[in-house]
Amino acid sequence: MKNKWISFMIAAILGAGMLTACGSGKEAPGGDAIGQETQGVRTESPSGAAEDSVIVAMGPNSEPEAGFDPAYGWGAGEHVHEPLIQSTLTVTNPDLSIGYDLATGMEVSEDGMTWTVTIRDDVKFTDGEPLTASDVAFTYNTVKAVSSVNDFTMLKEAKAVDDTTVEFHMAQAYSIWPYTMAIVGIVPEHAYGPDYGEHPIGSGRYLMKQWDKGQQIILEANPDYYGEEIKMKRVTVVFMEEDAAFAAAKAGQVDLAYTAAAYSDQAVDGYELLSFETVDNRGFNLPAIPAGTDEAGNAVGNDFTSDVEVRRAINIGLDRQEMLEHVVNSYGTPAYSVCDKMPWYNSVAEVTYDPEKAKAILEEAGWIEGADGIREKNGVQAAFRLLYPANDSLRQALAADTQNQLAKLGIEVTIEGVGWDTAYDRAQAEPLMWGWGAHSPMELYNIYHTLENGLAGFSPYSNETVDRYMDEALAAGDLEDSYELWQKAQWDGSTGVTQEGDIPWIWLVNIDHLYWSRENLQVAEQKLHPHGHGWSIVNNVDQWSWK
Amino acid sequence: MRRFNGRQRTALLFGLAVLFLILITLLGQLYAEEAMATDFSRKDRAPCLAYLFGTDWMGRDMFVRTLTGLSMSIRIGLLAAGVSALLALLLGIVSATMGRAVDAVVTWVIDLVMGIPHILLLILISYACGKGFRGVVIGVSLTHWTSLARLIRGEVLQLKEAEYIKVAGKLGLSPWQIASKHMVPHLFPQFLVGLILLFPHAILHEASITFLGFGLSPEQPAIGVILSESMQYLAMGKWWLALFPGLLLVLTVVLFDVAGESLRKLLSPGSAQV
Repeated sequence: MKNKWISFMIAAILGAGMLTACGSGKEAPGGDAIGQETQGVRTESPSGAAEDSVIVAMGPNSEPEAGFDPAYGWGAGEHVHEPLIQSTLTVTNPDLSIGYDLATGMEVSEDGMTWTVTIRDDVKFTDGEPLTASDVAFTYNTVKAVSSVNDFTMLKEAKAVDDTTVEFHMAQAYSIWPYTMAIVGIVPEHAYGPDYGEHPIGSGRYLMKQWDKGQQIILEANPDYYGEEIKMKRVTVVFMEEDAAFAAAKAGQVDLAYTAAAYSDQAVDGYELLSFETVDNRGFNLPAIPAGTDEAGNAVGNDFTSDVEVRRAINIGLDRQEMLEHVVNSYGTPAYSVCDKMPWYNSVAEVTYDPEKAKAILEEAGWIEGADGIREKNGVQAAFRLLYPANDSLRQALAADTQNQLAKLGIEVTIEGVGWDTAYDRAQAEPLMWGWGAHSPMELYNIYHTLENGLAGFSPYSNETVDRYMDEALAAGDLEDSYELWQKAQWDGSTGVTQEGDIPWIWLVNIDHLYWSRENLQVAEQKLHPHGHGWSIVNNVDQWSWK
Repeated sequence: MRRFNGRQRTALLFGLAVLFLILITLLGQLYAEEAMATDFSRKDRAPCLAYLFGTDWMGRDMFVRTLTGLSMSIRIGLLAAGVSALLALLLGIVSATMGRAVDAVVTWVIDLVMGIPHILLLILISYACGKGFRGVVIGVSLTHWTSLARLIRGEVLQLKEAEYIKVAGKLGLSPWQIASKHMVPHLFPQFLVGLILLFPHAILHEASITFLGFGLSPEQPAIGVILSESMQYLAMGKWWLALFPGLLLVLTVVLFDVAGESLRKLLSPGSAQV
């Protein structure tokens, strides 16, 4: 018997050891920042900490891999935000209209092919050199040549006319250029090189003081900043996984920590849960053409979802409110488009949940329930596979809830976790749970506008009228005028991408961004956060304060 | 227990262990569909009578999920260990009987496979085979045959020198006849025990590469998936997501070990005292 116990113990230890050894590989790179690195972490009570400094915990993916170089995605990458270290020509206002940072005025030629921007003459880089129009031109010509994370093909060339005037000559009319100008940080021509990302010099609100890769970034207020007075003199950003960030908040080591809805039923002493509305949406595509293959032999299209009545039934047959309760403990808002609440959003997209009508639509379209409860039409089953990114538990839950809800309509959904290496290709034939949401109407274009092969890029779909409105919107001379055209692309009264139109994408929810915030920290008002739960929160960290 | 002698007790232990494992496998198969079902109205429940192992963040019943996961693990273990053991038997015999050159090659391959860290090779093979059920089975099969092959090779080399084998050769039996008539029956006990002792390895490795994200896909109720998912909920105090599946995994592994050891004692009573 003794032997048996020993062998049991050994097996238990081996088993545990095996799994924990594997576990350590997954640990957050910033996870051990707390133990070893005390510099960026509060070791005393907040009252003992400096009045004008703040420590913010973000996810490990928020650490800019290539550093603070706009050409490699800083600010202007997949997840857009204000670059803090650099200034931008324009900024987005709280209502997502355009305001000025460096710019003092902008004009666009009638054909939309030339933008002329005048800039302030009193701005200096943190090394003392003045910022001139040639720095601006240099920045834009550089990002155009180098950037692999953002599209600058609409720009032909930037030219400095004099010290304070820069001209952008466009390759094609691009009325929403001001939104691009809001995310490109201006770099100094005289101090730009291959190592700029690690040693950035800018003219923005903060200087980069220290960067411990995999752990933390320390920013300090720029003493010569030309704008409003900076209240938060020192900002430390630490990178850690969700559970580590939660533990850090519990231990009182950070002032603000990102968190997820799964943690929302927890309580942390001395902290409150802040929730900010977003356009960080989740939704899935429905391939709008029948199944076939492309030139390379990949599957494209789907015989079930290519029926527009099916897509309409799904859109009104999903209870978004219930989904929010189930998946994010109601920390979110229903989503009806990729751009809810943006100035270019067409509110016609909004639909009410009506399962009976959804069933009626399906019946009328000939999708009749079979013996197994699954609808069928001409031998085609009312079924599809819904893909989701394998490591994203939120999207997995959304996919599972969609599965449950559609089962009630007689539609069979199977869910499958996939890696991003295959997800893009497979989404051409099977719906995929996506996350989108940006501070630019360009996202509508990327999702719904056709490419050279006659189909939209992320999910097969085409509508000439929708294309035309978006082309016209880009060619519109005036930004304000373009909003209406973007709205018409969504629905013009007879066609579009909304319920009565082609509805090639189903939008489900906008996820609130949640943070544990020290009770006496005053976080300044936030504009709608875009997709990406990262740097957006500190867009206005200079205006935060302690109560 | 007094009424049974040692041998009977061992047989009983073997029988119980095997019965339990078969039960888990069958129950898991039976509940396969339920293990995937999500019901958000019952999410995040702590263990209670209705849900013995609690439920997770999508309201999945962790008890049936764990059973199905173990069942899947056992099936993968059976398949992988079977293929692996056959491979070992084949290569072991070939290596010992086909002459020096073949022996050198097989021994070299054994050393090579043993020289590369197990888990690394497993991940590479599984990934190259497209992950999922197939990737895991091929990966485990191709990495676990080496020690058994080496054991069998040694046995065969020894057997070759045995009198009765030499006599059989002199009597004109072909090498194939010698191998199948005289060697395999002699090797069978070692082979069987080796095969059963491969299971726990196969199961643990299946769980670990799935845990690391290179094995079964995340919507499948595999133990590795369950344990890796539970990681992010531990900080929220949802201990049941990891504890019960982890304990049952260890129990299963121990039971295979018990079954293998018991079988060894039954088949070669002489070694029972060792």
